[in-house]
Amino acid sequence: MSADIAPWIAIAVAAAVTFGTRTLGPVIMARVPATRRVQQFLDSLSASVIVAIVAGYLARGTLREAVALAAGALAMMLLQKPLLSMVVAMVVAAVWTMARP
Amino acid sequence: MLTFDGFKAGMRRMAGVALFGVPFGIAFGAAAVEAGMSMAEIVAMSALVYAGAAQFAMLQLWHTPLPLLSIAFVVLAVNARHLIFGAALAPLLNALPRRQRLLSAYLLSDANFADMQAARQSGSKDLGILVGGGFVMWLSWNAAAALGAFIGGTEKDLSRFGIDVAMAAFFVTVIAAPARRVSNLLPMGVAALVSVATLSLLPHGWNIIAGALAGGISGAIAGVIRER
Repeated sequence: MSADIAPWIAIAVAAAVTFGTRTLGPVIMARVPATRRVQQFLDSLSASVIVAIVAGYLARGTLREAVALAAGALAMMLLQKPLLSMVVAMVVAAVWTMARP
Repeated sequence: MLTFDGFKAGMRRMAGVALFGVPFGIAFGAAAVEAGMSMAEIVAMSALVYAGAAQFAMLQLWHTPLPLLSIAFVVLAVNARHLIFGAALAPLLNALPRRQRLLSAYLLSDANFADMQAARQSGSKDLGILVGGGFVMWLSWNAAAALGAFIGGTEKDLSRFGIDVAMAAFFVTVIAAPARRVSNLLPMGVAALVSVATLSLLPHGWNIIAGALAGGISGAIAGVIRER
């Protein structure tokens, strides 16, 4: 294989695999009957996948990330403003880093 | 359905999140140059693969000869969570004409999926929100990666400004609403527990899938018990 073409093949492979992961979910679900159970499964799935991402992130992180996200969650509960709550979490994380370099 | 009004709303909703993503794109572009990629390859990869975590993972394998099979497996592992996103959105996605469905899938990623879930909680069924949000994220990711490749040099310290927690903080704002419904607490708790418990047992990223599936199944089981 020529060295110049190899990176392009790698990019094409990665793009194809990624597009596959993006299209396959609905294709699978189209073959599953839409019963009430399946509906409840999908409803719980939507919230669960985001929770799983955040929980994994916190488990890999330190107290800094946990405190920052807790502050963001509190801000969201009190103010109901997503972007502002993100900024609160980021400010807490930034201040933490500055205070304990 | 997928409307142009929804598309515009999605772009508006995600503009701020896309902005916070720019430093990651710049970091990727700079790291890709260090790994020996050309500007054309970096731009093509960001535009076609368009998956930040997978692209960073690919850089770890970017040496000659390129291990194509390893790259395929790592990209599959890191991106398998898209399957869950797609399944969760299936009722809406499968109602679309083929071309719109493929466009929606192409632009599907963590952040605009989360935003679409938030929109659904307030009653919207318009996947234009997903596509518009995905489009503005795609634009900023590509521009940032190209900029990073152009300026290159030392990797910026994202933690100094708290930018490293931005994406997780956005996810927290999305789960705040479903967390208020009592019936969601069990699946969400199960998802968190399983995700953390399997973190060191499974390949990178698969703890998310394990957690999500466990959460989904526990939600369905709780439904059976509630209705008995």
